Formats: sequence, structure tokens, C-alpha cells
Amino acid sequence: MTTTPHGGLLDGFTILEFGGGAAGPVATRYFADHGATVIRVESRQRPDFLRILKLTPDTKGGLDGGEHFAVLNANKRSVALNLGKPEAVAIARRLALVVDAIAENFAPGAMAKWGLDYASLVRERSDLVMISTCLNGQTGPQRFYPGFGGQGSALSGFNHLTGWPDREPLGPYGTITDSLSPRFAALLLAGALLHRGRTGRGQHIDLSQVEGGITCLSEAIATFTANGEVLGRMGNRSRHAAPHGVFRCADEDGRERWIAIAVHDDLAWARLVDALGSPGWATPPELATAAGRLAAVDGLEAALAEWTRPQAARPLAERLQAAGVDAAPVLDLRDVHDDPQIAHRGHFGTVRHPVLGDHPAETHAIRFSAMAPALRTPAPRLGEHTDAVLRDLLGLPDHEITSLREAGVLE
Amino acid sequence: MRGSLHGLRVLDLTGEPGFLTGMLLGEMGADVVKVEPPAGDPARHRGPYWGEVADVERSLVWLAMNGSKRGLTLDLDAAAGGDLFLRLAERADVVLETEAPGRLAARGLGWDVLHARNPRLVLASLTPWGQTGPYAGWRGSDLTVIAMSGNLHCTGDPDRAPLRCSLPVSHFHGSIEAAVGVAFALLARERTGEGQHVDVAMQEAMVMPNMATASMSMMTGNRGARAGAFFRQTKSVQREIWPCADGYVSFALRGGPARVPGLVAMTKYMSEHGMASEKLRATDWKAYNHNLLSQDEVDALSAEFGAFFRTKTMTELFQAACERNLMLAPANTSREIVASEQLAARRFFVDLEHPGRGVLRLPGAFAQITSDDADATTVAVRGPAPRLGEHTAAVLGEIGVDAAVLARLRAEGVL
Repeated sequence: MTTTPHGGLLDGFTILEFGGGAAGPVATRYFADHGATVIRVESRQRPDFLRILKLTPDTKGGLDGGEHFAVLNANKRSVALNLGKPEAVAIARRLALVVDAIAENFAPGAMAKWGLDYASLVRERSDLVMISTCLNGQTGPQRFYPGFGGQGSALSGFNHLTGWPDREPLGPYGTITDSLSPRFAALLLAGALLHRGRTGRGQHIDLSQVEGGITCLSEAIATFTANGEVLGRMGNRSRHAAPHGVFRCADEDGRERWIAIAVHDDLAWARLVDALGSPGWATPPELATAAGRLAAVDGLEAALAEWTRPQAARPLAERLQAAGVDAAPVLDLRDVHDDPQIAHRGHFGTVRHPVLGDHPAETHAIRFSAMAPALRTPAPRLGEHTDAVLRDLLGLPDHEITSLREAGVLE
Repeated sequence: MRGSLHGLRVLDLTGEPGFLTGMLLGEMGADVVKVEPPAGDPARHRGPYWGEVADVERSLVWLAMNGSKRGLTLDLDAAAGGDLFLRLAERADVVLETEAPGRLAARGLGWDVLHARNPRLVLASLTPWGQTGPYAGWRGSDLTVIAMSGNLHCTGDPDRAPLRCSLPVSHFHGSIEAAVGVAFALLARERTGEGQHVDVAMQEAMVMPNMATASMSMMTGNRGARAGAFFRQTKSVQREIWPCADGYVSFALRGGPARVPGLVAMTKYMSEHGMASEKLRATDWKAYNHNLLSQDEVDALSAEFGAFFRTKTMTELFQAACERNLMLAPANTSREIVASEQLAARRFFVDLEHPGRGVLRLPGAFAQITSDDADATTVAVRGPAPRLGEHTAAVLGEIGVDAAVLARLRAEGVL
């Protein structure tokens, strides 16, 4: 990823952001990374919990020292507004009326308390684009049900589908609806801006994180509604492919190492057998077909595990790939930074943060042929851009800003 | 009922990893034409099948992930097929594809050719590792790209192998990412008039689900580890997914301002059932910091919650959660999801008539539009997944292919 300033894909767009955590802020990062101005409305009274989450005992602390917040919010600007004060609400309202879009992920009804909900704003601004995202959506009997991504994974069915058939459900790691829904939100916002560009009309988008998750799991829903079958946990197995698993390799630096191997068709199996040196356990003719391999999968994977156990994971994966087999070493969170392909894609860049110092921040998985994303600025300190935004977007004179600050409005 | 992307034409060449991209664009109003080889997409030839009848029109993954699209068969490896495709691409806005890097170009249908024929066209390529780089030529699939993202390493039980979800999560992440890329490229096109090649890597798409912990590993030294149904704290592991009377629920014994009311309410709920000890009732949840507890303290606390959950069903616990604002959720299966009163109130599911096969209930629109302009912007399922070649004549008719040519192409096996 390039870190030099340059014209971006979305230069000139401005998005106002309310809320916190991951589900909203990750969505607007897509815009910020491509040149749009993303302004977070924040408050010292109720800071984003990621600003105060302390990850390690020696975390520097303070509202500007949260690593998690910093990584998720690079390239954004921050305006501090104490929305407990009517003057602050009035400023938020004026900002809402001059930006291109608003993204919020509060609980349903929170924006309405300030008169910042779509229905209130659209009366003055017919082309307003706004997205509201929360766990269950803005309507329905469970709209106020509180939850984080952990609850989203459970409600949408991901937990039930992750784990071993003989054990309890779990993961997937990282609260999956928190990472799916920002992608849905970015798509919907971009679609709304396209529509507005062509028609001059705005829209209000209601994105339920649980519904987005279920949309992804449509196959499981169809399998139930069509056949009455409830899909369950299969470990790493596949209904269509065998072997299909993760196998232990030789430890390195005192750490467990594993390799993932997936054989999707008969040709790939023949290649794997070749790479194995055609041992007796791999050559019975019934294993030449997927049906035969699936029937014998227990023995097959046990034998394969024995073969991988003494070998080093990455060289083994490279050797299998060279032989045309789908295989990959299992990388831990640190290894990902050193992966040559991830490095080639420029997935991680570095920003210089005033509290944390130089730190890596990631971007997304899209590369455009004509423009690159850019990490330009670190995550904002709370209120860092208050004066600039009020001056540039609303044209407030300095003395007015000063008196608002003295009145405790800008904190 | 038009949708934000009304008027946009999309040619969808994707295999299973990219099915969702076209489905989302279709629900947003684009005219998405699924282009399949004459024998049908490989996913049509794989169970589970509707009614357990092995038939290209009954593959459930096909039916579930290709709604809101039209269907065209075309042999892109035949010269006449490639030519027809280029003619379609000349009047299209977007092409979606998931083939190995270089495969389209080998057929004379690569980005350079497409861009020359239609400079406004956006081509989105979704692949395991991306179009270039040292592993661009590697094989990859859901299991292996997740292995290389850090996410697999952190999912699963500590005493067993790293684990994936039993449905392909990297396809979902990658597909939505590709749709974002398409929408951004279209926004940019409004200014520049030029299309772009959008290159999305599933491996990279699976780094973000680690929720910034990969970036933070450089600051914290945390390489990640599997904790099963538990969550790793500073000094302990705490249960996150708990057995109840008839299944499992997700509940976190974690502190912090957002969680205090839920913990207080949960303690009250347990008290009402005589299942909260005096010590638990006396707990000051405002001061509670899960990171400071030793494993023994966590285990003692967990034993009380665990014993209580075992006396209640998933439904009972979720009802209480909704009424009392407990941050607890059932680990739903498809059965509970289809029966959800919340989803019913939002009319989330749609019953789609599939000619000759019956009515299939499927997830509906992936978002709702609540503004006055909803008719022009609505997100909605536009129709069931197409039958093999269902719209071949209609789509080719739009570029002037008449019945006689159609018949010849069919006889030649191009369609």
C-alpha cells in the first residue's frame, strides 16, 4: 500500500460518522482509504469503547492511546461534540446537512433523540443518504435487543456451523458479523451515492447485521427449508472433497505448525499421491474417486497426518503447490505480516501516531487498476479536527469556536 | 421497484466463491446475467439437492446463491462463444469473474481486450491470492486462504487442529468485498468515464475478520491462539459459548460500560430463580474487570452461570434476553432462524416459486430501504436462480442474435 498522498477514487466525498466499535467504523474506512473525508462525531462524555479498551497491562492509555481504535480508524477526522448540550446537537445537525452521507451504528432510536434521524433531516435535505446499522435492524420486536458481534455470530448461525461434530460450537474467530456487515454497509452506501449522483435522490438504508450474516448462510437455510436438514459442524471436513483438513507439522521456534490441504477433485488427488511417493495406503483404486475418498476419509486423513507430522509446514506447502496441490501453511497473526503475498499486495502500511508511535494499519482486499488506496494519516485524537471542520465545513469564525469551547460544547 | 443499481448490466462469470457478488448487485437492482458453460456451473452438479434428486436444477447451493440473476449458457472456450461474450461486454457495465489469473486472457478475453472494446467496463476478479505476486499462481480454496490469513490459526479448540467454519466464510467476505470494489469503481467512473480492473484477494479479505488483531500483533506481540468456546483474557480464559438445556448460548462474562446493565440484569434474573449466590448478588458489576480475575476466580463465577443456563432452553434464555436486555444469544441453527419472530416481523424470508420444483423459502433482501424514495432504491430479491440457459435467447436477442443463429450455435454446442 502506498503512503504518499495522491488523488483518490472518492476525493470530494464527505461522510459523517456516528457510533463506534467496529461495525460502523470499518465501513467508512473503505471511503477514507480512497480519498473521501470521513468525520467522526465523538464525545469525551461517552467515548467509543475501543478508545478505552486496554489490550495489555502496559497500554499507554488515555482516550488517544487505544491500539484497537487506532488501527480501525486511520485516515479519519474527529470532531468532539458533547451531544448533551443543545448547541452541540445544532452543530451536528448543520454538519449532517452539508455532508454527502451519514453512517451511524447506535441502537435504534438514539439518533432520533437528538433529532438527527433520517426522518428529521430529510425534511431539510431531500438528497440525504444515510445508513443505520445495528444488530437486528431498525424495526421488529427485537430491534432494541442489545448485542455485540458475539451475539451476531450466534443469532445468524455461524457459531452452530463452526466446530467439531463431537464438540460444542465456537468461533469463527473475530465476531464474524462485525466484519461482514461493514462490507455490506460500504456497498450499500456506495450504491446510494451512485443513485444520488444520477437522480438527485437520497435514501435511508437499514442494515441488520444478523440478516447480512444469514444472507451469507443462505445455503444452510435452503438445505433446511427444502429438505428439513439442519447443517451442522463438520470440523474441517467437506461434503464434496477429501482429504480436506489441517494437519500437524514439525514445531518451529517452540510453536505448533500446521498445514491445510484440500483435494477438490480426482486429478488433484492423483497429484497428491505422486507427491506422497505413491505409498500403499494412497493407491487403492477406490480412492481414485471423490466418493471413495469420502467413504475412507478417516483412515486417509490419519495416514496423511502421519506423513506431514515431521515436515516443516511452509516448505511442504510450497512443494505441494509446485505439484499442483491446494495446500497452505497455517499462519498466526504475526506470520501474516511476513507472508510474501500479503507483502506484495501491500496489505499493511505504517502510520505515525502521536501516542502510539509508528504502527501498522491494515487496509482491505481490493486493488483498483487506476488508483491505489493510501494510508495518509493516523487515527485522529479525540476532537483533533474540531476547529478545522467547523471552520471549513460550516464557516464558523474562530471567536465563535472559542466561545463554544468555553461553554463545554466541543468536548 | 427499481433499486439503486437499476440500469446497470452485469455479466457474472463467477464460480461458487463469487456467487454472492452478483446476487447482491442483483438485489440492488442491476440486471445480472449469469454466464455458465453449456453443461452448467459445477455447483449445479453437487448436492445437497432439493428433495435429494440429483439434478442440475435442484442443487441447493446454486439455488441459494444465484437469485436475482438471469441465466445464459455460453462456451467461452469456443471462438464463437468468446466473440458473443465480447459483444455482450461491449454493452455491459460490469464483468465478474473468479477464474485463475491469466485464464480469461488466455482466451483472448482479458482486461486489456475488454478495456479496449469497452473503456467504461469494470472488471472484477475475485481469486484466492490476487492477480499478481509470488503466490498468484497457487491453488487456493476456502480452507487454504483462511489458513494464510491468521483466522484459521485462532479458530478451534486448543487441543485440536485449527478450524474453519463448515460453510466457506472466505467466499462471503471476498464476494462482498468484490461488490464494494465494483460500486467504488462505478462511482469513480461517474467522474472519469473510465472503467477499472478490480482485483480482490480472498486471503486478504480474511485478514480483516481478525478485527485488527493482525495489525496489533506488531504492537502487542500477540500471535493469537485457539480458545475453543472460550475467550482469552489477560489472566484467564472465560467461557463465551455455554451449553443450556437444549443447545448453546453465547454470553460473555466481560465487563466494561456497555456490558454492566446486562450483567446486573442477568444476576437479577438468576436471583429470581434462586440461582445466584450471595456473593454473586453482592458483586459490584460497575467495578468488575474481567481482565484482573485469576483463572480460579473466573471458574468459580462461571460455575454459577453455567449451572443456571443448563436449567433453561435456548428459547427461554433468548426471550429473557429480549425482555430484560441481557447480552445473551442462542447459537441458532437454521431451524431457529427460520422460526424467528424478529425476522418474520421484518418479512425477511421470501417464498420463491421455482417452476417445476415448487416453492423454496430463502433469505430475502440483505438490507431494507426505509425512505420515501424506497420504490426507486429498494433492495429486493428479483426472482429465483435461473434454470440452465433460461434466458439465453432473451439475452442474445438483445444484441441481435436471431433464432436461426441461435439454433446453429446450439447445434454447435456453443450455447
